Amino acid sequence: MTTTLPTLNEISAEMVVARSQSAGEPAWLTERRREAWTAFAQMNPPEWRRTDLSKLDPTTIAPSDGAHATAIQWDPALAAQGVVFTTLAAALHTHEALIQKYMDTAVEPLKHKFSALRAALWQDGALLYVPKGVAIEVPLRLIYTLATDGTAIFPRTLVIVEPHASVTLIEEFTSPDLRAGSFAGPITELFVGDGASVRFVSIQHWGSGVYHLAGQRAILARDANIEWTSIQLGGQVQHIEAETTLVGNGSRLNWLGATFAADTQHLVIAPWMRHVGHNCESFMQFKTVVNDTAYSVFDGMIKIEHESAATSTRLEEHALHLSPKARNDSIPGLMISTNDVLKGGHASTSGDIDQEQLFYMQTRGIPRAEAQRMIVMGFFEPALETVPLEELRAELTAEIAAKI
Amino acid sequence: MSNDLIIKDLYARIGDKEILRGVNLTVRQGTIHAIMGPNGSGKSTLSYIIAGHPSYEVTGGEIWYKGHNLLELEPDERSRLGVFLAFQYPVAVPGVTVANFLRAAINAHRAEEGKDPKETAIPAAEFRKLLREGLNVLDMDESFIRRYLNDGFSGGEKKRLEILQMMLLKPSMAVLDETDSGLDIDALRIVANGVNRLAGPEMGVLVITHYQRLLNYIKPDVVSVMMDGRIVREGGPELALELEEKGYDWLREELTGAA
Ligand SMILES: Nc1ncnc2c1ncn2[C@@H]1O[C@H](COP(=O)(O)OP(=O)(O)OP(=O)(O)O)[C@@H](O)[C@H]1O
Ligand SMILES: [Mg+2]
Repeated sequence: MTTTLPTLNEISAEMVVARSQSAGEPAWLTERRREAWTAFAQMNPPEWRRTDLSKLDPTTIAPSDGAHATAIQWDPALAAQGVVFTTLAAALHTHEALIQKYMDTAVEPLKHKFSALRAALWQDGALLYVPKGVAIEVPLRLIYTLATDGTAIFPRTLVIVEPHASVTLIEEFTSPDLRAGSFAGPITELFVGDGASVRFVSIQHWGSGVYHLAGQRAILARDANIEWTSIQLGGQVQHIEAETTLVGNGSRLNWLGATFAADTQHLVIAPWMRHVGHNCESFMQFKTVVNDTAYSVFDGMIKIEHESAATSTRLEEHALHLSPKARNDSIPGLMISTNDVLKGGHASTSGDIDQEQLFYMQTRGIPRAEAQRMIVMGFFEPALETVPLEELRAELTAEIAAKI
Repeated sequence: MSNDLIIKDLYARIGDKEILRGVNLTVRQGTIHAIMGPNGSGKSTLSYIIAGHPSYEVTGGEIWYKGHNLLELEPDERSRLGVFLAFQYPVAVPGVTVANFLRAAINAHRAEEGKDPKETAIPAAEFRKLLREGLNVLDMDESFIRRYLNDGFSGGEKKRLEILQMMLLKPSMAVLDETDSGLDIDALRIVANGVNRLAGPEMGVLVITHYQRLLNYIKPDVVSVMMDGRIVREGGPELALELEEKGYDWLREELTGAA
């Protein structure tokens, strides 16, 4: 079946339109896809200086043909409270107006060639809708998988949390080791309403070989709160553009990251914290470990818009080198367009494993390799401890240990 | 096989700086041996080299313990042989909890060649019991073990944790580098009690201190004085009292006068 799927260079706008229509999608969506595909076809690739896409070959990328790559895990009894957690394809029949209103308003579809590609071809994905005031204790889980070599998936997560509701969502990208050329182009959009609270854990742990070019954005309303954890372990090449926009006054963001690049992996992440509202607080702490000949890039940014006021923000990035041939570029930025900043801070460290820590642990009988493993785990602990499922945490711990 | 710690003509440097210049010292099994000496005389350097710190270059000499030249062993091998160092400045390891660290250390000591580590690991209940006992003796709160290793600990908390580790690992040769510094008098008594519970005919203890007050609680059999990277005098407990009273200058004068 996979052999019959057209590759990117074989797809035309007509095929995109025909596929949308035959899936019974509403006309506005068909039109958005057509527009996005046209933009994709016309645009040059974005100039990402630190992301090497030279081996990305459109003639080998064949979009998968169904929504079977999405697994949704939750307690369906929550539906009684009005919670919706289902595939986007299904939700289009039941919540079309809601989807039309929010979709594409957080992650700009025509920003560059790859965002246009994602907006044109998205197939798998889920809508999570939490009605006003509903508090969900148990974590919800969304798993995207790639099962076949050399195919592409374009999953899309749309999360709408109404005022004073709260929810925890795990979004996971996972697969066996695959041949280079397997491709994922996910879009994730989160809308956090007034006084609502979201814990969002996004985990990229593809098997080897996968290209992962993702756009993610959360938009916070008044007094909204998000605890976002970004974990990046897998794939061959990754480029994640992520942003939290603190639009509503008094909104808060706490963002923890853990990236581990080993072998020949090339993992880039650009998390932005954008302040628009008054009295907003943001904190970001990203940890990066590089090993072997891997290359990672942290391109974090604090952007404080002119209409914001009394912003408090802090960005930290820490990198650990396990091999002299591994490389990490940390290029945190700060753009301020106002004089009204309450607190702003930045810290960055980079280095090898601390010899004094290793020695101290060894003097207690712990062998060097084990001490090293514990130090790396400890380094990632702030992000790892936010992963709400014990068995998932254990899985990630094992994956990290295998890369040391 | 001797279970004495025997240091023979030890020379060590860091970069161009010669720090130890021929240390000769024997810590006998079953004794408590104190080292005193001015700041910078090389006491911590000696303790680090006994434990295997990689920064120091040993340019001469040997350290024998239980039939091994310690200088040929990795720090973790020395630990598993029974050598323990309570650090003057314990190291913080953020993200690693005290409990996980202690369990890893105990399990490393219990590990046996060719056996599955799961098989030799300490059972959870036994670990909790040991831990509770230790915390009790040292008057430490349970919440302590969930904190990250030495991370944001007060000086006194760090020193207590060093002794807790010693109590759990039950070394046969313990080096205590200024374990008394930063402790108030109650804490000092508690920590000394922890040491005294372990000390006995099977164990050698090397206590580095500047103050007689510790030696009131941990009573030394032998007192050695280190100056400029050498042991320059050895005596009984009365030597510590004499140093406390008169300082080091008289000794320095005696030594240069004699030279
Ligand atoms: N890592 C190092 N780099 C440079 N010099 C060092 C280092 N470690 C020790 N030294 C030097 O070696 C000498 C001995 O230091 P050491 O810490 O062993 O003394 P000490 O007797 O323990 O002193 P104190 O009583 O103050 O603890 C000092 O001059 C010290 O500055
Ligand atoms: Mg010292």
